[in-house]
Amino acid sequence: MFLNETQEEVRATTRSFVNAVVRPAAEALDREERFPAEIYEEMGKLGLFGIAVPEELGGPGFDTLTYAVVMEELSRGYASVADQCGLVELITTLLVRHGTPEQQKLLPSIMSMQQKVAYCITEPEAGTDVSGIRTTAVKDGEGWVLNGGKIWIHNAPVADLGFVLARTDKEAGNRGMSIFIVDLHAKGVERGPKEHKMGQRASQVGALDFQDVRLGPNALLGEMNRGFHMMMSVLDKGRVGIASLAVGIAQAGLEAAVEYAGTRKQFGKHISEFQGVQWLLADMAKDIEAARLLVYAAAMKIDHGLDATRSCSMAKCFAGDMAVARTADAVQVFGGSGYIRGFEVERLYRDAKITQIYEGTNQIQRMIIARELLKKGATA
Amino acid sequence: MKILVPVKRVVDYNVRVRVRADGSGIETGNVKMSMNPFDEIALEEAVRLKEKGIATEVLAVSIGVPQTRDTLRTALAMGADRALLVALPQDAEQDLEPLCVARILAKIADSEKVDLVIAGKQAIDNDMNATGQMLAAALGWGQGTYASAVDVAEGSVQVTREVDGGLQTLRLKIPAVITTDLRLNQPRYVALPAIMKAKKKTIEDIPLETLGIDITPRLEILKTVEPPTRQAGVKVHSVDELLSKLKTEAGVL
Ligand SMILES: Cc1cc2nc3c(=O)[nH]c(=O)nc-3n(C[C@H](O)[C@H](O)[C@H](O)COP(=O)(O)OP(=O)(O)OC[C@H]3O[C@@H](n4cnc5c(N)ncnc54)[C@H](O)[C@@H]3O)c2cc1C
Ligand SMILES: Cc1cc2nc3c(=O)[nH]c(=O)nc-3n(C[C@H](O)[C@H](O)[C@H](O)COP(=O)(O)OP(=O)(O)OC[C@H]3O[C@@H](n4cnc5c(N)ncnc54)[C@H](O)[C@@H]3O)c2cc1C
Repeated sequence: MFLNETQEEVRATTRSFVNAVVRPAAEALDREERFPAEIYEEMGKLGLFGIAVPEELGGPGFDTLTYAVVMEELSRGYASVADQCGLVELITTLLVRHGTPEQQKLLPSIMSMQQKVAYCITEPEAGTDVSGIRTTAVKDGEGWVLNGGKIWIHNAPVADLGFVLARTDKEAGNRGMSIFIVDLHAKGVERGPKEHKMGQRASQVGALDFQDVRLGPNALLGEMNRGFHMMMSVLDKGRVGIASLAVGIAQAGLEAAVEYAGTRKQFGKHISEFQGVQWLLADMAKDIEAARLLVYAAAMKIDHGLDATRSCSMAKCFAGDMAVARTADAVQVFGGSGYIRGFEVERLYRDAKITQIYEGTNQIQRMIIARELLKKGATA
Repeated sequence: MKILVPVKRVVDYNVRVRVRADGSGIETGNVKMSMNPFDEIALEEAVRLKEKGIATEVLAVSIGVPQTRDTLRTALAMGADRALLVALPQDAEQDLEPLCVARILAKIADSEKVDLVIAGKQAIDNDMNATGQMLAAALGWGQGTYASAVDVAEGSVQVTREVDGGLQTLRLKIPAVITTDLRLNQPRYVALPAIMKAKKKTIEDIPLETLGIDITPRLEILKTVEPPTRQAGVKVHSVDELLSKLKTEAGVL
């Protein structure tokens, strides 16, 4: 009803790929904390990276709603795989909007995963409050010299290209940051060890250290000192992506729970016949659907060029909270089995938690919703 | 070489099929529909022949209600060059019978000067397994059914067939009709850019009247029923008990 024929087809093709390739691999990838290069290579061939890149630049040129559909389907298979798609989507969106023709030549290798990217904002002293970053880029002849450090950067242990937010004007606050494209194999770049995480364990996350890294004149992405605003300008879309990812995790939990409830017997009956279990399933289904519709609404607002900030924060916040609560229900339906490694719902519960934290914590989403409410009024 | 691939819109293989309350058929309202899996295999084979430079054009043809356009759109995204739709009225209740489908396809194969037809061996909805064979007869062409391998040579095609107890290899003169078995190939996933490109291609309409084929059903479906539900199993406590049950109750030993 909400999706057109093309979006349905994208969903169908993504789903069949996910069912055959991604979902069956998730358990082992989680256990081994392994970067699934072979899956990403295939996804690159299928055009699942850089979904909104316009056709002139070699992408499929899909809208935000289609992106949301793809994210949910990928995440239904494995959230780490969806998060890789989300990361590439952010980077390619920045390159399409702000890149020079020279910089846009990077797009094909990024979309095929020949070059792995990292989006480098967070620092030890600057998490939620991005204005606290201390990494600096100082003008030096034609180029710049980069110094500082980033933490918890997705893909840091394996990435080839970093898109790094650095301070370029100490006095100018949010108007004194710029984004640089950094060759992470260059002299002066050090990588920390990969972190061992609660969930999404196939995502490689770690620290990056920059010591006198020399950047050429082409390294600056977009306008000087506009990095913070460029970053904020893709946040809405990023939040739709993470909200969709959360919906996908919960959807996988619902599917598993419904199937299990229909096969597990206690007291001589399938546990699906007990009202106590039925209500768990019903609550899961209705909240997942509500979150999905919030995601669609937010995505459609972006696609129609409307003010989407409030909707995107609502979708991200609701979907993240929902995914944590409803995957906990999925564990509950499985009883003791749901607590044991190797059962999908046990992983889903762990994978869900980060959706309340990254891409702006859910407290921050609530702050944004309230700010919008108080500024623009409560009328729907 | 020009290849025609007939593609049928059927209930998706993941859907749990339900019989209509009045037993007149199966529920298709509000049910996910997809391309018949055997037709996907047929199309994949045709597209591969094109990619190898053996085929010059792949033509996908479907006969069905207007929503069948979606199936043809998928065929274009998978790599068909052109798509033809013989549209049936929205209220077309039953499937066309294999004989009608074969006659329609024969007309199109003839007017389009097709060299090879690659079809699915059967559609997963009614499992008729007859259209390819009837089409070969209608055209007077050779047929290679249940293909698990297809090798095109100059003026002929070698088809390996899966038959009881082994494989049989046939050489057919072109033009010919081939029907595909499950193990012929693994159809590709449609790439997202291909979906976008397929959107821009047109689907050509062939009005049913222009073909002059009578589609009045000759077969009457008396009743459609659910298969009997599976009885719960029992646990046996020893090999001896198992053997005795297999002998006395199951009667298989
Ligand atoms: C798996 C993973 C992947 C990540 N990937 C990346 C990446 O690729 N690139 C990148 O740059 N970063 C990445 N991050 C970092 C992530 O974006 C930050 O963890 C996030 O922004 C929160 O910052 P923080 O951890 O410093 O928490 P803090 O900012 O220290 O927050 C701690 C708590 O205080 C709350 N809080 C803070 N300020 C307020 C306030 N004003 N009002 C109310 N509550 C407040 C927060 O909501 C939170 O609950 C990743 C993190 C993880 C765990
Ligand atoms: C870490 C761990 C340690 C454990 N340690 C021990 C131990 O030391 N000794 C021991 O004996 N056992 C132990 N257990 C087993 C534990 O007690 C059981 O897992 C628990 O009793 C639930 O049973 P189950 O897992 O078979 O779930 P099930 O009974 O299959 O329940 C599945 C779901 O159905 C629901 N349900 C079942 N019946 C009904 C009903 N009539 N109405 C409504 N809902 C219903 C349940 O609430 C649950 O949500 C342990 C389990 C774990 C995970």
